[in-house]
Amino acid sequence: MTDKAQNEPDIGTLETEMNRGFLHILVLALLEKDMYGYAMVKHIDSLGYKVEENTLYPLLRRLEKNGWIASKWDLSEDRPRKFYSITREGRSLRSALLDVWKNQNRVLDEITKEIPHV
Amino acid sequence: MSDKLEAYLEEISHFLSGRAEREEILSEIRSHIMEKAAEGPGEFTDAAIEKAIAAFGPARKVAEKYLDHSRPIIDPAYKRYLFRYTTLLFAAHTLLTIAAVVFKEDFIIFPFLFMPRLGVIEALMYLPTAFLADLGIVAVVLYFITQSGKDVKLPWPKFGVDLDEVKPPTKNFWVSRIATAIGAVIMLAITDFALYLFARHQTIFFVNLDWTDPRPLFTPGAGRRLSLIVIAGFALSTMTLLIKLFTRSRWVDVVNSAISLGLIGLILTQPFDDLFAVRIAENILPKIRYAAKFTLLFIALMTTIELIKNIVIISRRKFNSVTRN
Repeated sequence: MTDKAQNEPDIGTLETEMNRGFLHILVLALLEKDMYGYAMVKHIDSLGYKVEENTLYPLLRRLEKNGWIASKWDLSEDRPRKFYSITREGRSLRSALLDVWKNQNRVLDEITKEIPHV
Repeated sequence: MSDKLEAYLEEISHFLSGRAEREEILSEIRSHIMEKAAEGPGEFTDAAIEKAIAAFGPARKVAEKYLDHSRPIIDPAYKRYLFRYTTLLFAAHTLLTIAAVVFKEDFIIFPFLFMPRLGVIEALMYLPTAFLADLGIVAVVLYFITQSGKDVKLPWPKFGVDLDEVKPPTKNFWVSRIATAIGAVIMLAITDFALYLFARHQTIFFVNLDWTDPRPLFTPGAGRRLSLIVIAGFALSTMTLLIKLFTRSRWVDVVNSAISLGLIGLILTQPFDDLFAVRIAENILPKIRYAAKFTLLFIALMTTIELIKNIVIISRRKFNSVTRN
């Protein structure tokens, strides 16, 4: 193993932890327009961010259970698709989460400004 | 519809068994995989479905993501109590077992416990089962507390031995190894000497120290049997110490304790009548009998506690490493 590889931290688990909160905001932001699961995966992918397919669906289920999004099956096409949409409660939550997110970013920006080479 | 997709969904369904929304989850996954497979270059093929399934992940991992946020079987805050309470319960169980053996009585603590009159061998066989039963009872209680979702502050007596705080020996590596080596050499010498005596006189128990005319303590048959059991005990200790020079695994102690209990059980099954080859006053004989039995039972109790302690520590480590992963 090279010195560089030894010194580089494994961020896999931490990244998963960080993604957990981010994904909530991301999905709530995306669902301003009704979308089905695979379309969301592709859209997020096109923005340069990778979401694990098997993580997205359980998350959608939890958001729906809490009443923050709603879903309905569209059977008019060849393939049945489940469309998700944000609810009124979901919009309030999104707004609150975005405030938290922006504040976290501001704090981090303030701190990292003072650290050289970051 | 692809057989591969059906088999994949069937596998996920197996891991989601018991979930009310299972059908809905499977429909979502089916829809996603069909969308993805249809989008690739070329026609909608089995290969495309296989690729979409591979991207979605192994069935068990997928099912775990849906189960991830459900309540654990035992809340992390109560995990420590699983072994703490089991230790206390088992200690009480062991005391009752000893009482049942010594007093030759049935014990009933209605409706919790029925302890039939037990012989020594039956008691030794009963204790491991009792430990598993105690572990199960505590696990069930903690399960119900966890599922209730209430913040229950579980009591823990100050005098209780906290096995979490049992630390590995802190002695210097070489000091502890040298001590083990000296112990192994001494035990090896004792075992050799006992074997030499046994080969020469068919017993290792004597009433005098006159090597030209030794007088055996026990009658020939009993002396031979007891000598062999004690020599086996010496050999076991020697082997344990030699193995401990190379490994500090607690499994070594577990095996040692288990075999020791077997040897103590063998001694206790030896008939006491016509045991001594020398004349002993009639009024002293019952006292010797009870003293010997009490001493052996005490050693058996200490060995059992040591055995259980090591099993609990090993289980805790395995349990912790599994939950960490």
